[in-house]
Amino acid sequence: MRVDVQGLTVRYGSVTAVDDMSFSLSGNKIYGLLGRNGSGKTSLMSALAGYRRPIGSVQLDGEPVFENAAAMRQVCLVRHAADAADKGDKVAHVLEYGAAWRDTWDNPYALELTELFKIPLKKKVGELSLGQRSALGVVIGLASRSPLTMLDESHLGMDTPTRYAFYDALLSDFMAHPRTIIISTHLIEELASLLEELVIIDSGRLVLQEEADVLRSRGTEITGNAADVDEFTAGLTVLSEKSLGRTKSAMVFGQLDDSGLVRARQLGLELGPIALQDLFVHLTEPVGGKR
Amino acid sequence: MKIFRHLTTTLVLYGAIVAACVFLAVLAAEFTLSVFADIVFSGWMLVTVQIARWFVLWVGVYAIHNVLPIAIAHGRTRREFLGAATGFSVVFALAMALLAWLGFLVEGGVYDLMDWRSHPYGSVLAYFLMFLVWCGVGMLLAAAFGRWGYGAALVLPFGLALAVVPGITMPGTGDLPFIRNAPTLLGDGWHLVSLGAWAVAMVATWAIARDLPVRVRST
Repeated sequence: MRVDVQGLTVRYGSVTAVDDMSFSLSGNKIYGLLGRNGSGKTSLMSALAGYRRPIGSVQLDGEPVFENAAAMRQVCLVRHAADAADKGDKVAHVLEYGAAWRDTWDNPYALELTELFKIPLKKKVGELSLGQRSALGVVIGLASRSPLTMLDESHLGMDTPTRYAFYDALLSDFMAHPRTIIISTHLIEELASLLEELVIIDSGRLVLQEEADVLRSRGTEITGNAADVDEFTAGLTVLSEKSLGRTKSAMVFGQLDDSGLVRARQLGLELGPIALQDLFVHLTEPVGGKR
Repeated sequence: MKIFRHLTTTLVLYGAIVAACVFLAVLAAEFTLSVFADIVFSGWMLVTVQIARWFVLWVGVYAIHNVLPIAIAHGRTRREFLGAATGFSVVFALAMALLAWLGFLVEGGVYDLMDWRSHPYGSVLAYFLMFLVWCGVGMLLAAAFGRWGYGAALVLPFGLALAVVPGITMPGTGDLPFIRNAPTLLGDGWHLVSLGAWAVAMVATWAIARDLPVRVRST
């Protein structure tokens, strides 16, 4: 499903959460929506899901989403804990809502996932642990099989084995049923291998939209003799440096050209990739008190 | 239709269970009271006009505050939900009115048997309209508070004004006795005013809820 956002603004009183944002997603990929706390991720996703009337334009496959039944049917957003569940409802009832109200709902798969995440069907949502509530959100998101599925920090509170089970389930379900999935997360490295394209936002504005592999190629870690590293990195954008004895490691942002690569070889420097997380931190780092 | 079916089956059933439990509790209270004093009024009337309407108002609030966000999260529009909720308010009010009437029927039999006295109570139509308006006002207030937060306190007098309309002619409510003359002059025509109050409540609910945002909730 294609997503087009044009001049989107979301305000809460005097606070602007999303500020005149525009971008397009071609669809059928797993997108990572990255941003610091308060950067506007949840507000952006809420507007994409028709949870609030947008100022600006939000279109799914060319159709406006807000109060458009045909477009709304294609979307599922799960924020933190499940929106699609009342805390007084039993888990089994929550799945019944999905089965009754969503044409694309896959109930056998929903039951399979509740078993995988060990969510008791007879328990009320309000009695579940934070991790179980998060897992229930993931169940609703994945079992909805919506052409646009958005998971907003849905794995918050899950323990590590459950998170890994979620990543496996997400990938295998995406392979079997390709669709547009947007995931917002702070656990960037854990999810990095799943993300095909990244949308990085900060202070309600779009910072960067890039294929994950292209973004990775923009950063390089250079390790070697401290003097050689200093000489090589002179004039480059250095994100951070670490020294141990006479050995130094520096992370630089920006693609190295052929002459740079030759020079690094001449100096005996080792070149390696930078973690997405480090690039994200750099791209959203406050500069002079402002980002 | 799916939303209407869900609202109706779950909440009408819930309302019926609550009504049955309360009815048994009222009967038990009446028998207990009869040991110490003469029974001269209907306990069921007290419950149906004073407590039941607050329950119906709560159901209206619940539908908008709890079920509407769930419907949107499952890909339904506000318009679809409000259409279903409007139909639901009619069916729910009718079901509650019939339950009230059924209660009077059973209680009347018990009173005859025990030779207890009671006051006249409202018609099924009067109960239906009272529940209908209170359900609508519940939806209106939930929509207003959901959209404007505490600012919706300004809507409270409007909601209250609508809510008192059907109770004016209802025995046992004691709503605004100083304007009792107007309904008397209108006779059964006052029911049309009640119907109008419900229509106003639903139109206002639609107008407010069409832009209602789904806020992040802690579950």
